Formats: sequence, structure tokens, C-alpha cells
Amino acid sequence: MTATAASLEALAAARQERPATLAEATEALRRADQDRERVLFLGGGTELSLGAPPAGVEVVLGTERLERIVEHAPLDQIVTVEAGVRLSSLQGTLAASGQMLALDAPWAARATLGGLVATNAFGPLRTRYGSVRDLIIGISIVRADGTEARGGGKVVKNVAGFDLPKLMVGSLGTLGFISTVTFRLHPRPEASRTVLFRDLDADAVRRVVLVMRQAQLEPGAAAALVHEGGDDLGVRFDGRFELGVRFDGFEAGVRQQSMKLLDLATRQGWGAESLGAEVARAFWARHDDARESPAGFRAKLAAQPMDLERVANGAIGSLFAALEVPRCVCYPTLGLAFVAGEVRVPGQVAAAVNAARDAVPEGSVVVHAAPPEVRGAVDVWGPPPAALPLMRAVKDRLDPGRRLAPGRLVGGL
Amino acid sequence: MSAPSLVTPAAPAAAPIPAPPSVLDRLIAVVGDRNVIRDPADLRTYECDGLTSFRAAPSVVVLPASTEEVAAVVRIAVEAGMPIVPRGAGTGLSGGALPVPGCVLLGLSRMKRILEVDLDNGWIRVQPGVINLDVSKEISAAGYYYAPDPSSQSVCTIGGNVAENSGGAHCLKYGFTVNHVRGVRMVTAAGEVVDIGGPVLDPPGYDLLGVLVGSEGTLGIVTEVVLRILRKAEATRTFFATFPSTTEGGNCVSEIIGAGIIPAAIEMMDRLAIQAAVAATGVDWPDVGAALLMDVDGCTAEAEHTASLALGIARRTGALEVRVPKDEDERMLMWKGRKSAFGAMGRLAPNYIVQDGVIPRKDIARVLAEIARLSQERGLRVANVFHAGDGNLHPLVLYDAKVPGEEHAAEELGGEILRLCIRYGGSITGEHGVGADKAPYMAEMFSEADLDTMAKVRCAFDPGTTFNPTKVFPTPRLCGDRPGPYRPHATELAGLADRG
Repeated sequence: MTATAASLEALAAARQERPATLAEATEALRRADQDRERVLFLGGGTELSLGAPPAGVEVVLGTERLERIVEHAPLDQIVTVEAGVRLSSLQGTLAASGQMLALDAPWAARATLGGLVATNAFGPLRTRYGSVRDLIIGISIVRADGTEARGGGKVVKNVAGFDLPKLMVGSLGTLGFISTVTFRLHPRPEASRTVLFRDLDADAVRRVVLVMRQAQLEPGAAAALVHEGGDDLGVRFDGRFELGVRFDGFEAGVRQQSMKLLDLATRQGWGAESLGAEVARAFWARHDDARESPAGFRAKLAAQPMDLERVANGAIGSLFAALEVPRCVCYPTLGLAFVAGEVRVPGQVAAAVNAARDAVPEGSVVVHAAPPEVRGAVDVWGPPPAALPLMRAVKDRLDPGRRLAPGRLVGGL
Repeated sequence: MSAPSLVTPAAPAAAPIPAPPSVLDRLIAVVGDRNVIRDPADLRTYECDGLTSFRAAPSVVVLPASTEEVAAVVRIAVEAGMPIVPRGAGTGLSGGALPVPGCVLLGLSRMKRILEVDLDNGWIRVQPGVINLDVSKEISAAGYYYAPDPSSQSVCTIGGNVAENSGGAHCLKYGFTVNHVRGVRMVTAAGEVVDIGGPVLDPPGYDLLGVLVGSEGTLGIVTEVVLRILRKAEATRTFFATFPSTTEGGNCVSEIIGAGIIPAAIEMMDRLAIQAAVAATGVDWPDVGAALLMDVDGCTAEAEHTASLALGIARRTGALEVRVPKDEDERMLMWKGRKSAFGAMGRLAPNYIVQDGVIPRKDIARVLAEIARLSQERGLRVANVFHAGDGNLHPLVLYDAKVPGEEHAAEELGGEILRLCIRYGGSITGEHGVGADKAPYMAEMFSEADLDTMAKVRCAFDPGTTFNPTKVFPTPRLCGDRPGPYRPHATELAGLADRG
């Protein structure tokens, strides 16, 4: 990840704090407050390039030593972790109790739970279980002024007070330091089966989503990858996808649902097959590669699910034409996609970002990674949301000195 | 949960503080004469919500019909220095819509249009006065529904649901209101109209929706809501099981969850609650220590598999009897029994107080035993009917207001139960909201710094604390002109501004 490496280099000049306890983290923030220093929080560094480069960071507060699982109550299906716990390590612990955090975000071996909350990361399981905001039930933070505060709790159902946990989701370290997080957990499914559609155009992918819903199917995950292919110049986007739909749950339900989907596919004339375990793993490994392999440029596209054709032709197509070795992962039930690749001509990539934004005016195109030449030519966030003044007010109240990752989030938040 | 409240008010509220004539004139110019209610007798209707033991008269009730009218009313009230209390159907059980003396009560019941339906993209856009159940009715023929189902769903409004982050029996699997709101149009304290979120996921910036939903009308006035809608499940399987006591019932719930089943709903009733339901609806439930009512849903094979697994667990954990409804009518009757348990309390006692504290699920048996002990100590009966899957208790403290001191004793017992929930690491409210009722307990559940952080968020939205002041927070808070570290206000330090 060249962009990440560049950002890391720029931050190397800052003072590095690596607290071993939550008390030390609070102490570090109090010192930074006294000295009026600007602070950046660092988890696994997997999304460090997301957002505008924060201005004049003097302290980098890393969470790598805050890796304690504070409480796992299997009977209550909740877990509380310190911010620096890695996603794959947590999943390993939970698996021993037959449970999981229903979050299969990328770079699981490095990504930390604090970072995943701050960046609102997700994976294909979002199809069924929702995103971080649907899984987080409690949080403790340290404010810019060194005050420790807590919101939510450790029971799933709780409407006491404002939902600070959700406010912190996607806040990119601009509102406070996330010290611990409590999540609700889910049982690990007994069985899984993936049905693969090898060759569909965008309209057919969209129709599969509708047909599945009409048939009352409840997929655990659905992901479409742009077809591999093309010539020596790289992959050409020919508007075609392979779509994997996975059913998770008890064997009886998984079997019924995958058979039903195959049957529907046959009737519609879509080629589909139920994959054996080995081939299914290969499909999801291709998915992981497409979203995780190092890339100089990466963008997230959001639109309404039924606008997939417009997204594919207008947004994905434009970006594919401008990028080298482009790739794409699309979550068709959610209306979300990631496009990644290498930048050959920055001006072309910047123009493609603008074209993508024009193609989905009611949605968003957010640049997660890009070289400075591209960042100089387009706003990585795109147009600010209508509620920006309220967001500014929240930032001003919680970080009046503007010392936490200043300017990283949309609209200079 | 709605219930026709049976609490007899000790005394009517004090006479309303009249609104200045100039303010009335301006309000009438915006919404029309008949939508500005200011006759003291008419204002009585709005003295309380579902929590009838708390009463206060508003100065004026305004019933706007559009976002623009709401914005104009907000600007008029702010200029006049009058607080604004929003109100939906007034079914809330925590006093969230309780007027503040001298306030403009903003009733949103006239804004009840369904504005736009997009089945393919899975959302519906509605005004806040739309009744919860009417959302599902609108899309039912197409096979869709709106998931959050508070027991009051046939009368409560979407705006009220958004304010309270309402739940219901099926939120164990499907989530609360906050998991189903995609976007809102809102009038801010500055009287401006702003859109937050929308049909498309992950708009850049802070998740203001996450904090707005459940903020109990303290952050803004929502005038349109984009709701996520779901396709109905292919199959639902229901069973009813009886147990010698809530201990066996609680164990059954734990084992079902432990087996990897996520029930759509799993409800428990104790002996008193069963008796009340029988008296009210004529269901032929036996006189036993506990009963479970459970729904599983999904594709047919999954629903049947999980239902049979759960039935096996019920038998193994000591069920006295297991019943499976033979048809949809019988199933509806079972649910009617459960949902009427609240209202049915009137057959057991003249008055009751309901709490909705939450505890970790694994501690259900222990907490119920403690509640039973408290009940005996205080000589007051407590009926329990609750969402067992997520540990959301609904203890109903029965009393007779005509017996001197009994109402006070019941309130104290209710408070003890909330403290019990806090002690077990739970929450003082799972779905009814803090409102006026539980605000004093917030300081026991949260630290001063926690509350201060929440207050900062409130000040960001509403620096003049115009919207629903005196709710949620245990002590009045002023925002101050400049954002900065929290300093107690002089009146707080002097002890003058403590809650009365």
C-alpha cells in the first residue's frame, strides 16, 4: 500500500506514544491537552490513508499494546475489548465458544477493533448482520481534554442516554480516543454454502437481488467481482460480474435456500452452480484479494442497490478505464462497492472520480487511498453533507481545540 | 409497550402559564386558528403521556401540517424564549412528551402522510405522525413490513418511535428503530431544515442519525423519516411452553440461545402475568409459575429445524407442557394474550407502575429472585412479563392509590428494581426511554463525565436547550456560549438547580 507507506513516513516525525494500559493512554492524552498538541490515533494502520491527511500531527497514539479482551460473556453474547485487539485474534477467541463478531472486515490479521469502529469498516457479512453501528453496544472514550467517558453499556437492549457508540462509528479519531468497545455477538453458523453465478451483467446482478428477496431468501453474504480478463494493458471492464451468494445457518435451511436459488437461476436462464467447499473458498479468497491486495488507489462507491447498472457503467467503468490492474468488489444488496488499482496518469484518475460522482449524484464516492497528485485534484470526500454545520458543532463541543486528527474527515472536520 | 395507564393522578396539573398574545397571533398566522390550542380545558388533554402520574400543562399546543410550518413554529418559540416539547401519539411510558410549564407543545399528529415507497431499494419515506402499524399495512400486500413492533404499534407514531428508539418483542433478531432509520428531515433549534442521511448507505461524516434516534426529542424536530423495510419471512413457527417457575423458564431461554438459535421473539411471563392475560383475553393458559412464548422465523426448513430444536430444549429444561398453535388464529390469540398482559393488570390491582430495566440474560433467574424478595419485603405484588431473549424486564408493581402511602412505596420499589438492573451491569431502560420518569437514575447508571459528554452533544444541536428540556438528564444543564471543558453552572453549584 504505497499511500499508506507515504502517510506513515509523514507521521514518523511525530512523537510516538504506545500506552500499555488504558490509564497510560488517558495520561498521554492529558499531556497532549496540556501541551496543546495535535494527536492522531493509530490502530493497525490498514486505513491510514482514508480521509484528508490530518494537519500538523505532533503525537501519534498507537493502540498496539492495548490488546486485552476485557470481558467475553458467552451466555450474554457480548464481548468488551480494548481498542488494539486485532480482529482475527478476537474471532479466534470467540470461535472457541461457537461465537463470532459478525464483522468480516478486510486485513483482519492487522486491523484493530478500535480502528474498525473509527473507520466503519465492513465485509460481506454486512449483507445479513448490518454494519459496525448495528453490532456496537457500548464504548469508552477519552476526550480531547483527557476526560474518560462511556456510552451505551453491555446489554444489547439499552436506550438510556445518547448513543455515543454510534456517534464514534466512522468518526476517524476526530471526536475522541476509543479505548474500549463492547459488541453483541452471534452464533457461528453450523453450515455454509455458496452459489456462484459465473457471468452476469449489472442488470442481471440487480435482478438476482430482487429475485432472492421475492423468494424470501436470506443470504448471509453476497459479493460480485468484476470479471478477470482483458489484455496486456490490464483488465478491461466489459460490464460483467461473477456473483457469489452464501447462505449461512443450520444445515437444513442452508440446503433449502441454495437449492431454491439454483432453481430460480435455472428458470431465469442464469448459469449458476452450488460450489463445493474447496471452490467456495477459492471464490471468497478471490474476493479477499480484490479488496485487500496493495493498491495505490482505492475508492468506495455508495448508491441505491437498484442503480447498479448506472454505478457499473458510469462509475466502475470510468475508474477501470483510468486505472492499471483495476479490480472491484461489489455488495449488490447494499449498494456498496470498492474499486482499486494503480495510478498511471493522476489526471485521468481524478477525472474518473469526478465522472463516478456525476454518475451517482445521490450517493457518494470516497477515495480511501490515492497518491498526492490525485488528492490534489479531487476532494477525497466529495461534496460535504447537508448536515455539515451540525457535524462541525459536534466536533467543536467535543474537541474545541481541534487537536484530534484535524481536518481528516469530510468538510475539514 | 403501550398500556392504558391505570394510575390515578393524585391531582391535576397546575393551571397553564398563558402564552403571550403576540406569540399566539404569530402561531395562528402559521398553522391556522384551529391548530393553535390554548383553551385551558382543551390543554388538559396534553397534560401527560402514557405516564399519567406526571402532569404539567403546556402554554399552548400547536399542530403543524408541514416541515415549513414546524420550522416557523420553532423560530417563533425560540424568539419568545419558550421551550418546545414534541409529541407524537402520547403513548410513551417515561414522560418523554410531558409538557414543561410554559412550553409550546408541538403535536405532530397531523403530519401523517406516507410520502414515497421504494420496495426494490427497500425503503419508505413517511411523515412523523404516521402510525407504526400503518407503515406495515401500506406495504403488506407486496409482502413487506416494517420490523420494529412496540406493543403500542396500532396507535404510536413513527416520530415517537424515532425519539424513543422503540423496540418491541421482535427486536432480538431484527433490531430497534435505530437499525431501521436510514434518514430524516429535521428542523434544528435554529429553525432550519436539514436532511441527515437518506436511502443510500454510509454517507460521509458523523453518524448523527445514530445519536438522533433515541434522543427523546432533545436534539431536533423530525419531520420526515426514511425507514428500511423488510421482506416478510417465508415461515414463522410459534410455541408456548409452561414451567414450574421462572428459573426453569430462564434456563430454557439460555439454552435456546446457547444452541445458536436467534429467536425472532422469546417472551416470558410469570404467574401473575399469566393470570392477568387469562382474565383479560380468555386464553386457556394454566395456572403455572412461568410461561414462554416464542417465535422463530426464516426459510421454512430453518424455521422448522430451529422450532423443533427449541421444543426439545424446552422439554429437557423442565417444561410442564408445550403447545404449538394449530393455525394462525390460535397463534394470534397466544400473542394477544402476551400483548394484553399490561392492560390486563387492571384486573389484579387498581394501579400499577411499569419499569423496563435490562439485565444480562444469564442473570435473569437471580434478578427475578431478588425482585421477588423485594416484593415480599415491601408487601407489594410484582408481575413480570418480559423480553427474555435480551434480558429486558417489564416488572409491573401493583398497588392501590387509595391506600395511603402505597403509591409512594410502589415508586420506591420500582426504583429499587432499577438499581438492581444497574448493579447487574444492565440498563435502566431497554425501550421506554428515560424521559422525566428515569432521569434521576441516569446519574446512578452514568458518571458525571459520561453525562457531560452527552450534554456536549446536546449543546451542539441545541445550544439554547429549547427542545424538551428537563428530560433525559438528571440535572439542568446550560451550554454556555463557548464550547469548552465542562464547568458546573453557578446554580448547580449553589444547589438551586437540582431536580425538584
